[in-house]
Amino acid sequence: MTWQDDRFEHYLREFQPPKPRALPWQTRTLPELLRRLAAAAVVTVVLGTSLWFAMHPSERGRTEIVTNGALAPEQKATGASLSLLPLTQLAVSDPVRLDAQLAAASRRVLPDFRGERSTLRVLAKE
Amino acid sequence: MEPKKLTGEDVRLLYDRHGPALLAYACSFVADAGIAEDIVHQVFVKLLQGETAMPEVPVAYLYRAVRNTALNARRNGFRNAPLDHATSWLVHRGGDREAALALQAALIELPEEQREVVVMRIWSGMTLEEIATAAGVSLNTIASRYRYALEKLRERLKPYEKP
Repeated sequence: MTWQDDRFEHYLREFQPPKPRALPWQTRTLPELLRRLAAAAVVTVVLGTSLWFAMHPSERGRTEIVTNGALAPEQKATGASLSLLPLTQLAVSDPVRLDAQLAAASRRVLPDFRGERSTLRVLAKE
Repeated sequence: MEPKKLTGEDVRLLYDRHGPALLAYACSFVADAGIAEDIVHQVFVKLLQGETAMPEVPVAYLYRAVRNTALNARRNGFRNAPLDHATSWLVHRGGDREAALALQAALIELPEEQREVVVMRIWSGMTLEEIATAAGVSLNTIASRYRYALEKLRERLKPYEKP
Protein backbone atom coordinates (compact mmCIF):
# COMPACT_ATOMS: atom_id res chain seq x y z
CA MET A 1 0.00 0.00 0.00
CA THR A 2 1.47 3.32 -1.06
CA TRP A 3 0.66 6.69 0.43
CA GLN A 4 -1.42 7.33 -2.69
CA ASP A 5 -3.46 4.25 -1.90
CA ASP A 6 -3.95 5.49 1.64
CA ARG A 7 -5.02 8.87 0.33
CA PHE A 8 -7.42 7.30 -2.14
CA GLU A 9 -8.84 5.01 0.55
CA HIS A 10 -9.46 8.08 2.65
CA TYR A 11 -11.25 9.66 -0.31
CA LEU A 12 -13.38 6.56 -0.84
CA ARG A 13 -14.42 6.66 2.80
CA GLU A 14 -15.97 10.04 2.15
CA PHE A 15 -18.70 8.06 0.42
CA GLN A 16 -20.97 6.24 2.79
CA PRO A 17 -23.76 3.74 2.15
CA PRO A 18 -26.96 4.62 4.00
CA LYS A 19 -27.78 2.75 7.15
CA PRO A 20 -30.39 0.09 6.36
CA ARG A 21 -33.68 0.33 8.21
CA ALA A 22 -33.88 -1.45 11.53
CA LEU A 23 -34.48 -5.17 11.60
CA PRO A 24 -38.00 -6.21 12.67
CA TRP A 25 -36.89 -7.12 16.18
CA GLN A 26 -35.08 -3.81 16.55
CA THR A 27 -38.11 -1.68 15.85
CA ARG A 28 -39.52 -2.41 19.28
CA THR A 29 -37.32 -0.15 21.32
CA LEU A 30 -36.83 -0.43 25.06
CA PRO A 31 -39.05 2.55 25.95
CA GLU A 32 -41.85 1.04 23.89
CA LEU A 33 -41.46 -2.30 25.68
CA LEU A 34 -41.50 -0.49 29.03
CA ARG A 35 -44.66 1.36 28.04
CA ARG A 36 -46.30 -1.91 27.04
CA LEU A 37 -45.25 -3.51 30.32
CA ALA A 38 -46.61 -0.54 32.30
CA ALA A 39 -49.93 -0.70 30.43
CA ALA A 40 -50.16 -4.45 31.07
CA ALA A 41 -49.43 -3.88 34.76
CA VAL A 42 -52.17 -1.22 35.04
CA VAL A 43 -54.72 -3.50 33.34
CA THR A 44 -53.74 -6.37 35.65
CA VAL A 45 -54.12 -4.20 38.77
CA VAL A 46 -57.52 -2.85 37.65
CA LEU A 47 -58.83 -6.33 36.82
CA GLY A 48 -57.44 -7.76 40.05
CA THR A 49 -59.03 -5.00 42.14
CA SER A 50 -62.39 -5.39 40.40
CA LEU A 51 -62.28 -9.12 40.95
CA TRP A 52 -61.39 -8.69 44.60
CA PHE A 53 -64.27 -6.29 45.19
CA ALA A 54 -66.61 -8.63 43.35
CA MET A 55 -65.60 -11.51 45.61
CA HIS A 56 -65.49 -9.46 48.84
CA PRO A 57 -68.45 -7.05 48.94
CA SER A 58 -67.69 -4.04 51.14
CA GLU A 59 -69.01 -3.65 54.69
CA ARG A 60 -70.90 -0.56 53.60
CA GLY A 61 -72.75 -2.43 50.92
CA ARG A 62 -73.65 -5.22 53.29
CA THR A 63 -75.00 -2.75 55.90
CA GLU A 64 -77.17 -1.15 53.28
CA ILE A 65 -78.71 -4.49 52.43
CA VAL A 66 -79.39 -5.33 56.08
CA THR A 67 -80.78 -1.88 56.76
CA ASN A 68 -83.05 -2.07 53.78
CA GLY A 69 -84.25 -5.46 54.87
CA ALA A 70 -84.93 -4.25 58.43
CA LEU A 71 -86.72 -1.10 57.45
CA ALA A 72 -88.83 -2.53 54.70
CA PRO A 73 -89.69 -6.15 55.34
CA GLU A 74 -92.51 -5.87 52.84
CA GLN A 75 -89.93 -5.55 50.10
CA LYS A 76 -88.97 -9.13 50.76
CA ALA A 77 -92.52 -10.08 49.99
CA THR A 78 -92.08 -8.83 46.49
CA GLY A 79 -89.35 -11.37 45.95
CA ALA A 80 -89.32 -14.24 43.57
CA SER A 81 -91.50 -16.46 45.77
CA LEU A 82 -94.52 -14.17 45.40
CA SER A 83 -94.90 -13.04 41.87
CA LEU A 84 -98.18 -11.69 40.72
CA LEU A 85 -98.88 -13.61 37.54
CA PRO A 86 -98.58 -17.17 38.90
CA LEU A 87 -100.62 -16.21 41.93
CA THR A 88 -103.37 -14.75 39.77
CA GLN A 89 -103.42 -17.85 37.64
CA LEU A 90 -103.57 -19.97 40.77
CA ALA A 91 -106.44 -17.87 42.15
CA VAL A 92 -108.43 -18.54 39.00
CA SER A 93 -107.65 -22.22 38.70
CA ASP A 94 -107.30 -23.40 42.31
CA PRO A 95 -108.25 -20.94 45.10
CA VAL A 96 -107.66 -23.52 47.81
CA ARG A 97 -104.09 -24.07 46.78
CA LEU A 98 -103.63 -20.30 46.57
CA ASP A 99 -104.71 -19.95 50.21
CA ALA A 100 -102.31 -22.65 51.25
CA GLN A 101 -99.47 -21.04 49.30
CA LEU A 102 -100.15 -17.58 50.75
CA ALA A 103 -100.25 -19.01 54.26
CA ALA A 104 -96.93 -20.71 53.72
CA ALA A 105 -95.43 -17.57 52.23
CA SER A 106 -96.65 -15.39 55.06
CA ARG A 107 -94.63 -17.45 57.50
CA ARG A 108 -91.48 -16.76 55.50
CA VAL A 109 -92.16 -13.16 54.48
CA LEU A 110 -93.87 -11.51 57.44
CA PRO A 111 -92.15 -11.04 60.82
CA ASP A 112 -92.44 -14.13 62.96
CA PHE A 113 -94.51 -13.47 66.05
CA ARG A 114 -94.64 -17.05 67.24
CA GLY A 115 -91.40 -16.83 69.24
CA GLU A 116 -91.52 -15.96 72.97
CA ARG A 117 -89.47 -12.77 72.49
CA SER A 118 -90.64 -11.69 69.05
CA THR A 119 -91.24 -7.98 68.51
CA LEU A 120 -94.91 -8.37 67.80
CA ARG A 121 -95.54 -10.42 70.95
CA VAL A 122 -93.71 -7.86 73.08
CA LEU A 123 -95.72 -5.03 71.50
CA ALA A 124 -98.94 -6.99 71.95
CA LYS A 125 -98.22 -7.41 75.69
CA GLU A 126 -97.65 -3.68 76.05
CA MET B 1 -15.38 -25.74 10.51
CA GLU B 2 -17.33 -25.93 13.75
CA PRO B 3 -20.73 -24.27 13.49
CA LYS B 4 -21.03 -21.36 15.88
CA LYS B 5 -24.20 -20.38 17.71
CA LEU B 6 -24.87 -16.66 17.48
CA THR B 7 -26.93 -14.81 20.07
CA GLY B 8 -29.36 -12.01 19.19
CA GLU B 9 -26.81 -9.54 20.49
CA ASP B 10 -24.11 -10.98 18.18
CA VAL B 11 -26.46 -10.55 15.23
CA ARG B 12 -27.27 -6.99 16.26
CA LEU B 13 -23.57 -6.12 16.46
CA LEU B 14 -22.95 -7.67 13.04
CA TYR B 15 -25.86 -5.73 11.62
CA ASP B 16 -24.65 -2.44 13.09
CA ARG B 17 -21.11 -2.94 11.85
CA HIS B 18 -21.67 -4.51 8.44
CA GLY B 19 -25.28 -3.58 7.58
CA PRO B 20 -24.45 -0.44 5.55
CA ALA B 21 -21.59 -2.14 3.67
CA LEU B 22 -23.76 -5.17 2.92
CA LEU B 23 -26.47 -2.87 1.68
CA ALA B 24 -24.01 -1.22 -0.71
CA TYR B 25 -22.80 -4.66 -1.74
CA ALA B 26 -26.37 -5.84 -2.43
CA CYS B 27 -27.04 -2.63 -4.35
CA SER B 28 -24.19 -3.52 -6.67
CA PHE B 29 -26.17 -6.63 -7.74
CA VAL B 30 -29.80 -5.49 -7.87
CA ALA B 31 -31.34 -2.45 -9.42
CA ASP B 32 -33.59 -1.37 -6.61
CA ALA B 33 -32.24 -0.09 -3.28
CA GLY B 34 -35.44 -1.26 -1.56
CA ILE B 35 -34.94 -4.80 -2.81
CA ALA B 36 -31.29 -4.66 -1.77
CA GLU B 37 -32.42 -3.71 1.72
CA ASP B 38 -34.92 -6.58 1.74
CA ILE B 39 -32.12 -8.95 0.75
CA VAL B 40 -29.93 -7.81 3.63
CA HIS B 41 -32.88 -8.12 6.00
CA GLN B 42 -33.68 -11.59 4.75
CA VAL B 43 -30.14 -12.75 5.51
CA PHE B 44 -30.15 -11.30 9.02
CA VAL B 45 -33.65 -12.50 9.85
CA LYS B 46 -32.59 -16.05 8.94
CA LEU B 47 -29.68 -15.63 11.32
CA LEU B 48 -31.98 -14.40 14.07
CA GLN B 49 -34.37 -17.27 13.59
CA GLY B 50 -31.49 -19.70 13.91
CA GLU B 51 -32.21 -21.14 10.47
CA THR B 52 -28.54 -21.03 9.56
CA ALA B 53 -25.58 -22.82 11.07
CA MET B 54 -23.02 -20.09 11.36
CA PRO B 55 -19.47 -20.80 10.20
CA GLU B 56 -16.48 -19.56 12.14
CA VAL B 57 -16.19 -16.35 10.12
CA PRO B 58 -19.64 -14.75 10.18
CA VAL B 59 -18.64 -11.84 7.91
CA ALA B 60 -17.67 -14.22 5.13
CA TYR B 61 -21.02 -15.95 5.49
CA LEU B 62 -22.88 -12.61 5.39
CA TYR B 63 -21.20 -11.51 2.17
CA ARG B 64 -21.78 -14.93 0.57
CA ALA B 65 -25.41 -15.00 1.70
CA VAL B 66 -26.14 -11.48 0.47
CA ARG B 67 -24.45 -12.21 -2.85
CA ASN B 68 -26.37 -15.48 -3.37
CA THR B 69 -29.69 -14.00 -2.31
CA ALA B 70 -29.16 -11.03 -4.62
CA LEU B 71 -28.22 -13.26 -7.54
CA ASN B 72 -31.28 -15.45 -6.88
CA ALA B 73 -33.46 -12.38 -6.80
CA ARG B 74 -32.05 -11.25 -10.12
CA ARG B 75 -32.38 -14.70 -11.63
CA ASN B 76 -35.99 -14.99 -10.50
CA GLY B 77 -36.80 -11.80 -12.33
CA PHE B 78 -37.21 -9.82 -9.14
CA ARG B 79 -36.17 -6.85 -11.26
CA ASN B 80 -35.23 -7.43 -14.84
CA ALA B 81 -34.40 -3.80 -15.33
CA PRO B 82 -30.72 -2.99 -15.79
CA LEU B 83 -28.87 -1.67 -12.78
CA ASP B 84 -30.07 1.80 -12.15
CA HIS B 85 -27.05 4.06 -12.11
CA ALA B 86 -29.11 7.05 -11.05
CA THR B 87 -30.17 5.47 -7.74
CA SER B 88 -27.90 6.67 -4.98
CA TRP B 89 -26.73 3.98 -2.65
CA LEU B 90 -23.57 5.84 -1.77
CA VAL B 91 -23.69 9.34 -0.38
CA HIS B 92 -20.73 11.68 -0.52
CA ARG B 93 -20.06 13.49 2.74
CA GLY B 94 -19.49 16.73 0.85
CA GLY B 95 -22.63 16.30 -1.23
CA ASP B 96 -20.85 15.44 -4.50
CA ARG B 97 -23.63 13.39 -6.05
CA GLU B 98 -21.95 13.06 -9.42
CA ALA B 99 -18.87 11.56 -7.84
CA ALA B 100 -21.08 9.18 -5.84
CA LEU B 101 -22.82 8.00 -9.01
CA ALA B 102 -19.47 7.64 -10.80
CA LEU B 103 -18.13 5.55 -7.93
CA GLN B 104 -21.24 3.35 -7.98
CA ALA B 105 -20.89 2.81 -11.70
CA ALA B 106 -17.20 2.01 -11.32
CA LEU B 107 -17.92 -0.47 -8.53
CA ILE B 108 -20.54 -2.24 -10.61
CA GLU B 109 -18.06 -2.62 -13.44
CA LEU B 110 -15.43 -4.23 -11.21
CA PRO B 111 -15.12 -8.01 -11.26
CA GLU B 112 -17.14 -9.40 -8.41
CA GLU B 113 -14.21 -10.59 -6.28
CA GLN B 114 -12.51 -7.19 -6.57
CA ARG B 115 -15.69 -5.33 -5.70
CA GLU B 116 -16.18 -7.54 -2.66
CA VAL B 117 -12.69 -6.76 -1.38
CA VAL B 118 -13.24 -3.01 -1.82
CA VAL B 119 -16.58 -3.06 0.00
CA MET B 120 -15.19 -5.17 2.85
CA ARG B 121 -12.13 -2.97 3.18
CA ILE B 122 -13.65 0.48 2.78
CA TRP B 123 -17.14 0.16 4.28
CA SER B 124 -16.88 -2.87 6.55
CA GLY B 125 -13.54 -1.60 7.89
CA MET B 126 -11.83 -4.99 7.61
CA THR B 127 -8.11 -5.49 7.27
CA LEU B 128 -6.75 -7.33 4.25
CA GLU B 129 -5.87 -10.24 6.56
CA GLU B 130 -9.46 -10.45 7.79
CA ILE B 131 -10.73 -10.33 4.23
CA ALA B 132 -8.34 -13.10 3.22
CA THR B 133 -9.62 -15.25 6.10
CA ALA B 134 -13.23 -14.44 5.23
CA ALA B 135 -12.76 -15.19 1.55
CA GLY B 136 -10.66 -18.25 2.22
CA VAL B 137 -7.86 -17.17 -0.09
CA SER B 138 -4.30 -16.05 0.50
CA LEU B 139 -3.40 -12.58 1.66
CA ASN B 140 -1.40 -12.01 -1.54
CA THR B 141 -4.42 -12.77 -3.68
CA ILE B 142 -6.57 -10.36 -1.71
CA ALA B 143 -3.89 -7.69 -1.80
CA SER B 144 -3.54 -7.89 -5.57
CA ARG B 145 -7.34 -7.90 -6.08
CA TYR B 146 -7.52 -4.82 -3.95
CA ARG B 147 -4.66 -3.10 -5.76
CA TYR B 148 -6.22 -3.71 -9.17
CA ALA B 149 -9.58 -2.51 -7.94
CA LEU B 150 -8.13 0.69 -6.52
CA GLU B 151 -6.35 1.42 -9.78
CA LYS B 152 -9.57 1.11 -11.75
CA LEU B 153 -11.55 3.18 -9.30
CA ARG B 154 -8.88 5.85 -9.14
CA GLU B 155 -8.91 6.11 -12.91
CA ARG B 156 -12.70 6.51 -12.96
CA LEU B 157 -12.81 9.02 -10.12
CA LYS B 158 -9.88 11.16 -11.24
CA PRO B 159 -12.12 13.96 -12.52
CA TYR B 160 -13.89 14.20 -9.14
CA GLU B 161 -10.99 13.80 -6.72
CA LYS B 162 -9.79 17.10 -5.34
CA PRO B 163 -6.03 17.59 -5.18
